[in-house]
Order: sequence, then structure tokens, then C-alpha cells
Amino acid sequence: MMLIVGTIPDEELPMTTGPVGLDGEYLTAGGQRIPRIQGTGAMISAALSLTEYLKLEPPHILVAGDIGDGKGTRQMYNYLIENIEELSPDVLVLHYCMPYMDLMEKLCRVVESCPKKIIMIADAGAMYAAKGAGLADKFDIMTPDPSEIAFLADQKATHPAYIAHHLFECDSSKIPQQIADAYSNKSAANLLLVKGKTDYVASEGMVLASINQPDIPILETIGGTGDTITGLVSAFVYAGYKPFDAAVNAVKTNRIAGEFTQPTPATKVSCIIDSFPEVFEKYLQKWNGVCAT
Amino acid sequence: MISIKKDTAFKGDGIIIFQDVAQAIQAEKAVKKSGYETRLIAPPPEFRMGCDLALEINLVEKPIIERILKNDDAHYLEILPIKKGTAGLCEILKVTDYGQWTMVKAANMKITFDKESGIIANVSGGGCPDIPYLNVELVGKPLAEAPQPKELGFTLCAVMLDRALDECLRLWNGGN
Repeated sequence: MMLIVGTIPDEELPMTTGPVGLDGEYLTAGGQRIPRIQGTGAMISAALSLTEYLKLEPPHILVAGDIGDGKGTRQMYNYLIENIEELSPDVLVLHYCMPYMDLMEKLCRVVESCPKKIIMIADAGAMYAAKGAGLADKFDIMTPDPSEIAFLADQKATHPAYIAHHLFECDSSKIPQQIADAYSNKSAANLLLVKGKTDYVASEGMVLASINQPDIPILETIGGTGDTITGLVSAFVYAGYKPFDAAVNAVKTNRIAGEFTQPTPATKVSCIIDSFPEVFEKYLQKWNGVCAT
Repeated sequence: MISIKKDTAFKGDGIIIFQDVAQAIQAEKAVKKSGYETRLIAPPPEFRMGCDLALEINLVEKPIIERILKNDDAHYLEILPIKKGTAGLCEILKVTDYGQWTMVKAANMKITFDKESGIIANVSGGGCPDIPYLNVELVGKPLAEAPQPKELGFTLCAVMLDRALDECLRLWNGGN
């Protein structure tokens, strides 16, 4: 089972868990309807797109309403800490949430004590908490964007808002060095997928692949286009791809979907996601086994 | 792309510690409104939980600032002398031209607006839960009518989004 955990920007949404489905512009789970907008909703939609295409079990989700006061985040973490051994997912994806370092520490402890290896993937607030708590190396994959890799490279920062100026100011040519710094600080997962104008896949401080085509710069302006990459890499890993291949497939899928969609900054991320099946149909077989560029 | 560094001249010797970011934002507003110097900074490591914010002040003004906060019903944990090396917020803003649109980036937060209409086309980046909520509240609105993210949000991501919006407004109003 792949379990995706994250908050939804709806104060009224109670903590909800179950397999996810699609109903028009909404995701459905546990009798609730969840919008496919930026954040966890976009990430789940992207993962679901691949599991549907590959005819795999859909992602299970654990979501809660939270607009920043942290109530939903606490509910989700406490539920996970109590139930993770019984839930026993193959892949656990942690996404938008308040970056509470104490709860992340507790969760990582119980995950480590589980008899089964759980593949751990983090982005957004969960990645901030893991880095801030010094637990990034407990994760298998993290998916930072350029400002977030600067955050991982900055030993002192506990949130991207506190990145040192020289790290934020430098151009994208410095990203490979920031990746190396993040690993030497033990602030990186086993595999990093850095999303940007050029996407980098890295491990142990070394860049293993860089992908920059097709180049669709507008994607950076569209809320949720990084979330979709996280959803895709998670689903590819769940489908049995090695993390490196999963990462390369994910960024290629996102870029080509961008090319198909011809977006403007006003394009909704759901339009990009809706192009994924066409990308899978056209390219997935071709990429199998020849993912590295 | 161009980078803009905001003025960070204020260097106080005191720090106000809060339970959460929302309290810090409320206090900053009250102190600034009263005409006293202050600046948002990171709390010392022993007070950090993950998404934290503190206020730098002049320690000599502690009594009046305590009174301002009390009158505003703004809660805080304590006021301490500031330690050397306390981190400030990332003050650099990056502006990218996309032809019809301009994107402003503050730390991990980005706002893109239409140069002709001033309408916010999209909000991206971030990782705290109020960001998807703020995306819904901001996208499609003219810059001048958009709510300030600091007023609606609770987190450091919202604070950075607020800075991005202020810069978008400045550019929209003819700033260079």
C-alpha cells in the first residue's frame, strides 16, 4: 500500500483516511470530497494518475483540514504514530503540514521500529521538519525546489524563510554544490530530486542525472507543479521502479505534460495532471530500462 | 532575473519570543503601529519547533512594548536580551520577467501577476498548510485588492508570501 499524508486547506474537513478515487475535479476518500488544487491534492492526483494507468491499487490517503493553525497536522501525526505499524505501508509519503520537529522525531522513531522497511518520501512541510530535526537521512527520497535545496544546504536554517542570503542569492549553477553541502550536513535523503529549470537527481552528494528538456519555464509559476513531481516519483517507486528511475520518469512526465498543455501562469495544475495519461501512453514503455539521460 | 535586497538596518538588542507565528505577526503589527522599531527574526534554537518567528526590539523600550502588546491583547512568552548570531528572515527578493507576467520570489514563495491587468495569475512554492488556502484566496484577484497573506496566514511561508505580494504591488505601482 502507498500511504499519502498531508493537510488540505479546508478547516471543516475532518481527519479522513481510505483509498482515493476521482470524481470530476475532486478526489474522494472516506466519504469526503477533496479539491485537486496546489499542495496535497495535486500530489495525490498525480500519484493516482499513474496507479490508474498501471492498474495498481490506488493510493491510500490520510488527510486533515488545516489552514495553518496546525490542528489537522497534529491529528495526522498522532494517528500515524499510533497506527503506522498496523497500517504497514510499502511507501509512506509525507507532504504539506506544519513542520513540527517534535512530531517528526516521534514518527521517525516508530517507523524505524516497524518490522517492515517502509520507503519514506518527504516534500513541503514534512521535509522542513525532517531537516530541522536532523532526520533527513531517515528518508529515502526528498523533492526540494531550488530555494529548498538552499535550505537543506544551510546547516543553520530550520525553515526556508531563514536561508542565508548568499545561498538564496546564487544562481542555479550552484545547485550541484548545494546538493553536495546538503549531503555533507546530513540534511539530505538517500536520493534527492531537485526540481527546477534543470532537474537534478542526486545521491551521496553526487548528481546522477540532470534533465532540462523539454524546457517549459512557465511551469515554475504554476502552483502545484512541484507537488505533481512528488506524487509521480512516489507512485513510480510504489510501482516497483528503483528510486533513481522513478525520479527521472517523474520529471520527464511533468515536463512533457507541460509541453502538451502549453500552459500560461494562469493554467491550473489539474490541466497538467490531466495530460499525464497521454504521456504515460506515449513514453512509459520507451523509458523502461533506459531512464538515465 | 534581478535580485533586490530589502532594508534590514534595524539591529535591536532584545527579542520577544512567541508561541507561534500568528502571535508574532500580531505583535509586529501592534509595535510598528505605535511607531517603535522592530524586525521579524528567528528565535534562538532552544525555542524552535519548526515554524517559528520572533521580534527584535530595543531592550530599553521593553516596558512600553509590553504595554503596547497588553493593550492589543497580543500574547507572547517572554522578552530576552538578544544573542549574537540570531538569524534574520531571508530579505532577498528575486524578480523574473515572463513577458506578459512578472514573478516575484521571496525565499520559498512565488507570486506571478499579469503586467497589464495586475491580476494575480498564480501562487507557487511553500510547504506550510496555509499556502494552498492562500493560493485560493489570492489567485484571480487584482494585486491592489488581494488580502495580505500575513493577515490570513499563520506561518513563515505566509510571511514570505506577504513580502512577495508587497514587492508585486511596488512593481505594479511603477517601482523599478
